[in-house]
Amino acid sequence: MAFFIEVLVGGLLAGLMYSLVALGFVLIFKASGIFNFAQAAMVLFAAMFIAGMSGEWGVPLWLAIPITIVLMIGVAWVVERVVLRPLVNQEPIVMFMSTIGIFFCLIGIAEIFWGSSSRTLDVGIPRDPIFVGNMLFQTYDLVAGGIAVVLVLLLAAFAQWTRMGRVLRAVADDHQAAQAVGIRLSTVWVVVWSIAGFVAVVAGVVWGGNLGVQPVMVDVAFKALPVLLLGGLTSIPGAIVAGLIIGGGEALAEVYLGPIIGGGIQDWFAYMIAMAFMVYRPEGMFGEKIIERI
Amino acid sequence: MIYRESGQFKTTYAADQAMLPILQDKIFVLAVIALAVALPFLVSNYVIQALLLPFLIYSLAAIGLNILVGYCGQISLGTGGFMAVGAFAAWNILTRMPEMPILVGFVLGALCASGAGVLFGLPALRIKGFYLAVTTLAAQFFLVWLLQRPFFVDYSATGVISAQEIQLLGWTVDSGIDKYLFALAVVVIMALVAKNLVRSSTGRKWMAIRDMDVAAEIIGIRPMMTKLKAFAVSSFFVGLAGILWAYLYLGQLEANAFDIYTSFDVLFMVIIGGLGSILGSFLGAAFVVLVPIFLNIVPGWLGLPLDTAMVSYIEVFTFGALIIFFLIVEPHGLARLWTIAKQKLRLWPFPY
Amino acid sequence: MAAQPQESAGAARAGESLLKVEDVQLSFGGVHALRNVSFEIRRRQIFSIIGPNGAGKSSMLNCINGFYQPSAGTITYKGEPRKQMRPYQAASQGIARTFQNIALFTGMSTLDNIMTGRHLKAQSTLVENALWIGRARREEMAHRHFCEEIIDFLEIQQHRKTPVGTLPYGLQKRVELGRALAAEPELLLLDEPMAGMNLEEKQDMARFILDVNDQYGMTIALIEHDMAVVMDLSDRIVVLDHGEKIGEGTPDEVSSDPRVIEAYLGTQQEEEA
Repeated sequence: MAFFIEVLVGGLLAGLMYSLVALGFVLIFKASGIFNFAQAAMVLFAAMFIAGMSGEWGVPLWLAIPITIVLMIGVAWVVERVVLRPLVNQEPIVMFMSTIGIFFCLIGIAEIFWGSSSRTLDVGIPRDPIFVGNMLFQTYDLVAGGIAVVLVLLLAAFAQWTRMGRVLRAVADDHQAAQAVGIRLSTVWVVVWSIAGFVAVVAGVVWGGNLGVQPVMVDVAFKALPVLLLGGLTSIPGAIVAGLIIGGGEALAEVYLGPIIGGGIQDWFAYMIAMAFMVYRPEGMFGEKIIERI
Repeated sequence: MIYRESGQFKTTYAADQAMLPILQDKIFVLAVIALAVALPFLVSNYVIQALLLPFLIYSLAAIGLNILVGYCGQISLGTGGFMAVGAFAAWNILTRMPEMPILVGFVLGALCASGAGVLFGLPALRIKGFYLAVTTLAAQFFLVWLLQRPFFVDYSATGVISAQEIQLLGWTVDSGIDKYLFALAVVVIMALVAKNLVRSSTGRKWMAIRDMDVAAEIIGIRPMMTKLKAFAVSSFFVGLAGILWAYLYLGQLEANAFDIYTSFDVLFMVIIGGLGSILGSFLGAAFVVLVPIFLNIVPGWLGLPLDTAMVSYIEVFTFGALIIFFLIVEPHGLARLWTIAKQKLRLWPFPY
Repeated sequence: MAAQPQESAGAARAGESLLKVEDVQLSFGGVHALRNVSFEIRRRQIFSIIGPNGAGKSSMLNCINGFYQPSAGTITYKGEPRKQMRPYQAASQGIARTFQNIALFTGMSTLDNIMTGRHLKAQSTLVENALWIGRARREEMAHRHFCEEIIDFLEIQQHRKTPVGTLPYGLQKRVELGRALAAEPELLLLDEPMAGMNLEEKQDMARFILDVNDQYGMTIALIEHDMAVVMDLSDRIVVLDHGEKIGEGTPDEVSSDPRVIEAYLGTQQEEEA
């Protein structure tokens, strides 16, 4: 039993990392209706710049992180100018494909600057295992989980109580009505992509600090996609719950099912769960139901 | 002046519905095929192996994906997975039944890919657009994992499984030229099949679902059947491409050769070449095969020798940028540019 | 266009009931779009559904062709009460329609749109189509022939190969009618076929509707806001307001019905206000 809980908690905490990446997706989707495939690349991009600047150029972390946040705002601005604005009012699927383009651009740029070798990123979070009763947990996982929770609360507070938050919610409700009352969509998009960039920085730091920073990180970050689908594209709580389900589920599956059907279940578990659930309920667990009209 | 349809009147609907209604187009296509047959005898074996063969096989995969994405409007990121199913199914069938003619094994392998396509196309019953795109990732990751199980493949100590030799009526396909000609034959035949499908009632139903699925259902098109047919046909093409990739290009079976980036590459070919165009699939494949070579050569000319790693990074960026460029500037891809050129040529040298 | 092969073409059978709507209700989460609506459409009729905006006219058509499922009541088509049904099943039973907001396949040419409308008559299989043999080739020619007749009828010959997205609005409406006709339906539902047209275009469209009804004996159910057109064309009219039927009868009966006049005058004042 103790082993079961160890595995489960480890999985749940890893799942919070998926949630963290998925949060960026939800923000952009809610405010612009764009399914941002590039979110995973943004995480890698941020992590590589932080690790690269501190490793190659000797920039201290307290400086590298803010620089990268500014960089992500720049990315948001460029994306809005170069990609979103010319494609405004295109079909969602075209927007989706354009974010696949952004995905590769970001990875390309990060690799041109920092190469594809693995780097460590020491953010000063302790890595000692701790015992609770006879169960063993990783301090790092617990701290990372805590950071994820704090970030979610911050975002919720931002959306609830700030002026920009209200604007974002208005845009999410109805683009045209929001424009009619004088909200500039382009500004909103830059802001929301910047916030998603900030979330990517946090996810990149926490994730890179644990597993090291290298291009294959993006494959892991990819798993935020099924998490997102499972939770429902428009729901922040959905992203959290789905992250936990997928994280916990894949850890348990790997440990208990792996010996029977073969290891490496983590590669596909999240996707199969999301696919099965979508057939049952296309809008995801917490998503808004889609009503078709003609 | 040369490319002109005036004077070519059609007196039957059959003539007007022909695949290439304009005489110059017929001549042009025949010339291209003649050139394609002659080509391997004019270039080095390296060019065949590194350029022409991947181009042909990718074209086939791109046609397959284009049927699904460009004609039926169902976006898929599982291409690599279906290619892998084709290759591994063919290998398993031919290994377990050695007396089977190799072409029959290939067709059966491609049919297995078709089956996998239908299975992973089932969610299209309920979901569409980017939702479907993400669920097709399940096909990519699950199938590649599944095909590494010992039931399908018991990797030997060396970790290499060679593909069987292709023998047809006493013709052993082993040299570069043989492989090229074999692939060319398959691709030309399959391209004709695809062209027939998309101009028939099957193709029109696909396009109706793509353009407006609700209206399509109201005029009596069954969305599920139509989408599943598109998945089946598309995966057949893609599976066949996977078989050719393993048997002709790699010469061995390797599930990881069909990773997610294969899926992206084929999607890029379809977007760059032109959604909803068979010709575009060829143009897109040529483009995607040529860009890395271009990137390798050009910096050298400019006196900026780059190491191979840097070239591959630039390649990643370039493809991303090209996708965005094409989506913004010419969503119908290279095929559309070709049509525009032909329109211009019709009037040249007296435009208006 | 080829003569209708169905039995209804004979004048003797004209007038029998084709579609019967009884006590149909439709609600979306507590909002009633339709309440206890009943009427009957007879063969060869031009039947109009009128009413102010939001009266439930389009919802009624959506129920008839299976896009919405009524929450209560029955729809009897060709003498058989219908159960749950998908739109494609309605289409295969001979119900075709056009849409208020044009719903053409914008990536395809005029000819291909109309040919797509004819797909219910296509028998050829996937393999035949792939190899372009047997039925595939024969049917393609036969259908092309049929669709060319529709194109002639609708006078859109010169736009045959034009992508429909680039056609002007009035012509798109015609192509949509052509697509519906290609299925040789028994019941043709037209949702505001003349909305947004100028007088000349309206006259053309009215002529097409009358010709379709006269020459081929097709039954037509029509939604239209232009009262002059409705009064001219219709054999029978049903009036809806707020999801309820407030009147039914011949054009003369309806135009003198006080409840109808009230509903219309009321909304006209609102609209002008």
